[in-house]
Amino acid sequence: MIDGVKRIGTNEWEVPIGFIPGMRVPGRFFLSESLGRILEPGAVQQLANVATLPGIIQHALAMPDIHWGYGFPIGGVAAFSLEEGVISPGGVGFDINCGVRLFTTPLEYKDITGRRDVVDALFNAVPTGVGAKSPLKVSSKSLDDIMTKGARWAVEAGYGMPGDLERCEDKGCMRQADSSNVSAKAKQRGMPQGGTLGSGNHFLELQVVKEVFDHESAHAFGLAVGQVCCMIHCGSRGLGHQVCTDHLKILEQATRKYHITLPDRQLACAPILSPEGKAYFGAMAASANYAWANRQMIMHAARTILAKTFSIGYDEMPLVYDVAHNVAKIEEHQYEGKHGEVCVHRKGATRAFGPDAPDLPPGLAKIGQPVIIPGSMGTSSYVLRGTHTAMEKTFGSTCHGAGRIMSRSQAKKKLSGREIAAGLLKEGIIVRAPNENAIADEAPEVYKPSEEVVNVVHEVGISRLVARLIPVGVIKG
Amino acid sequence: MSFFEVSHTADVKIRATAPTLETLFSEALAALMQVLYGPDRNGGEKQEITIDAEDAESLLRDFLSEVLFIAEVNGLVFSDAKIHIRGCHLVATLDGEPFDRSRHALGTEVKGISYSGLVITHDANGYMLDIVFDV
Repeated sequence: MIDGVKRIGTNEWEVPIGFIPGMRVPGRFFLSESLGRILEPGAVQQLANVATLPGIIQHALAMPDIHWGYGFPIGGVAAFSLEEGVISPGGVGFDINCGVRLFTTPLEYKDITGRRDVVDALFNAVPTGVGAKSPLKVSSKSLDDIMTKGARWAVEAGYGMPGDLERCEDKGCMRQADSSNVSAKAKQRGMPQGGTLGSGNHFLELQVVKEVFDHESAHAFGLAVGQVCCMIHCGSRGLGHQVCTDHLKILEQATRKYHITLPDRQLACAPILSPEGKAYFGAMAASANYAWANRQMIMHAARTILAKTFSIGYDEMPLVYDVAHNVAKIEEHQYEGKHGEVCVHRKGATRAFGPDAPDLPPGLAKIGQPVIIPGSMGTSSYVLRGTHTAMEKTFGSTCHGAGRIMSRSQAKKKLSGREIAAGLLKEGIIVRAPNENAIADEAPEVYKPSEEVVNVVHEVGISRLVARLIPVGVIKG
Repeated sequence: MSFFEVSHTADVKIRATAPTLETLFSEALAALMQVLYGPDRNGGEKQEITIDAEDAESLLRDFLSEVLFIAEVNGLVFSDAKIHIRGCHLVATLDGEPFDRSRHALGTEVKGISYSGLVITHDANGYMLDIVFDV
């Protein structure tokens, strides 16, 4: 392990105050020995940098999928006092509310095995990749409504069922959204992209529940072995990216205006209650709402294809849950013997609220919040549940995925997209992507094994395994 | 003048070298366009951009962010740029063509341009740049 980092539990490590000058709290991260072998020293440095920010509470945290990002490490979680703390786009990421949702179907594995036609139909129905445009014509007024109402706009426009909103973090809408702080440029980017998937590690997957670890929770979530599900992973598209770009410039100036000393200019920030802080938060929330509406529309497209192809009812495909993994939220938490509202940043980290926490869907109060952890293409995805331990240790947070171990440049030299697709097909996994690089870039071997990452959060207790799903059909951008 | 991709686990990292700051910025633009759209890019349509910033790094960051925006909303793919920089004031004339799905769908989206890993150095051999594109 890196010099100066102390072990405080089987899979828990502390970066003590003094690791770098100016730390106000210790850093704390969760990692196994074997994942520790690929830990980047730069990521731990970034965690220590976050610990210097004004108003940070308890610890700067990182999940076991920690890796180097901009400003905050990816896998980073940090909570700030509303009165004394700051808000920072580096703690959210460019892709505001990149997140993932999972819905179930009444289909079984045998119904979709070898069904390339279904994968093709999904690929044609959901625009993916660079230059993809939405089939919807979204007006400026509709875009404002999308940013204000989030997933609810999509449901009201006919892209889903009212019950979908109950199974979405914040019911798919942050009420603090303020579209007046979203620039004209961001809106121009957002209007043609509603219902598009993007590219990189974004995907739509048909999956099968392969294994259930916690039968009571699986039953409550609506999951059973052999059941076909659909997972959608994407974010706020060009709108969110532009909001981040725009507000980073404003917050860089604000950092100087409010005399905030930073070890890294990528931690540009402003006091949460300052005009600049509120403006970013409002625009970020509007972007988060756009992302929820986007995932709702993509889910509708997928449900429509499956309903038509297999003659199943639309209402036989309920949403299990939707989680954001790049977002800042105002939440109530217990900390340092107090109870109050704090601003929690999660960048490449997922909310994992435990039993009896606020915002849990009806019927899940005793179970905890569903947590969806996407695997990479060709590897398992996981469903977990949030826990009381998460509320105590990590402001109700857990990991978001696996993290890469091989760069895109290495992947393209080593692996051909065609060979990978052929290999996956032998395992019964059909892949559609706009080009071969999109497949090579995201091959299973370029990621840390997601099983190792979820085993750490399960062992630490910040979320508990419920089910494992394997891919059968993959749409990539 | 040249650029190439350097190994970076999460994103795309580019190293570019050029004799002048202006040609370095052209290389950065070419690298961005290649990551987004692949190598087959032609000219024909011109677009002008003006940027003011505080230092060379923020000038480059803001220039490439603006290029990302223009390329996406106007549906343009750029093959070349004539760039003039005086202090921290940049004027660029970009040359490109409309996005053609049959030739330009070989890349991956870039979410943003950040200071992360952004280094511009200058020595007797010319200028060198390291930049990371968030994909």
